[in-house]
Amino acid sequence: MPMPSVNTPSTGPAGTTAGDDTEFRTLLDRLSDKATADYYNPFTTFDWPPTIPADGLWMSPELLSVHGTGLMDELSPAQLQALGRWESVNFYSLNVHGIRELLIEVTRRIHTTGFELPSEFFHHFIGEENDHMWFFATFCLKYADKIYPDRTVKLPEAPRAQDVENFLVFARILIFEQIVDHYNVHLAADQRLHPTVRHINRLHHQDESRHIAFGCRLVQLLWERLLDRGLNEADRLDLRDYLGRYLTTSMESFYSPAVYRDAGLTDGFALRRRLLAHPARQAAHAKVLHKTTDFLHRIGVFDARH
Amino acid sequence: MDDAIKPVVDWLRERNPTVEEIPEDLDLIENRLIDSLAFMEFILLLEDVIGRELHLDQIDVDQFRTLRSLTDHFLKR
Repeated sequence: MPMPSVNTPSTGPAGTTAGDDTEFRTLLDRLSDKATADYYNPFTTFDWPPTIPADGLWMSPELLSVHGTGLMDELSPAQLQALGRWESVNFYSLNVHGIRELLIEVTRRIHTTGFELPSEFFHHFIGEENDHMWFFATFCLKYADKIYPDRTVKLPEAPRAQDVENFLVFARILIFEQIVDHYNVHLAADQRLHPTVRHINRLHHQDESRHIAFGCRLVQLLWERLLDRGLNEADRLDLRDYLGRYLTTSMESFYSPAVYRDAGLTDGFALRRRLLAHPARQAAHAKVLHKTTDFLHRIGVFDARH
Repeated sequence: MDDAIKPVVDWLRERNPTVEEIPEDLDLIENRLIDSLAFMEFILLLEDVIGRELHLDQIDVDQFRTLRSLTDHFLKR
């Protein structure tokens, strides 16, 4: 199966018009220029204090996995602080592991056939993601002395067509970035939080805004190529279901039994299941995901059945 | 079937409502009762059942393929 070209769409298998190419080029040039203008050295940017007080807020209460449930009232302020501390470490740990995966996938594609056009921007992307991974990992190790381990395992599964796999890789990256960005925006603006917490979230949001703009366009182009080459209904349903489940699983990763244990809450797995079934939590997930689901509906990946 | 495996069977049935019987030697991965996305929750369930954390960078996927191998590797007392 030939890989869809996002460099020369007028001659690629999808037969996209040259007009799309011009628009994509313009976007890439603009984002690369912005990345150059915004460039910072992460290794000298942060003022890492020796400690971040454990009796302060590390995570906005509105972003806790228990928010909107009876536990917000049942837990003491000290327990909520502890939960916020460990949920924030889990959030940055998820970032570390998510970035590792996206670095592997983007690095696998840079300067290969079909990705000639975005490769220049990929250099900015890879460099910035490496920086993000470093400051998230540094935060975890410096202030919590650990990174929560990656809980994902790739099981052996039937391979998909290469163009489908390319679409899924960039759709997963976009979903991950949009979920994280929801938290970054909130945490960066929350004046109750420690300045270092706000700083890393503000810088991450600044870079991710470009990555998300790029990701939306690339995912749409790859999706249109799949439709143009005649994606069959069964494969379309498979993609829709897979991405729907990916959204759900991504949100579920915020409900960690290990975090609950570190925060002193017992029976973490049962607590996770109870919270996930709570209507307030489902509503919170919909709020986090709305930009992503709106986008996937708009380009036609999701339909009325999702 | 051992009682210890019951929460695992219940979870698999909940996730796969069209599946009635799960033979002990059915390949859960090949038959897509568990896939990569579901595996995270599955691991958390298994850890809850056995009462300890698993080191996922050291696992052998074949130990998770069937109810029999899950019992042999994780649930034998």
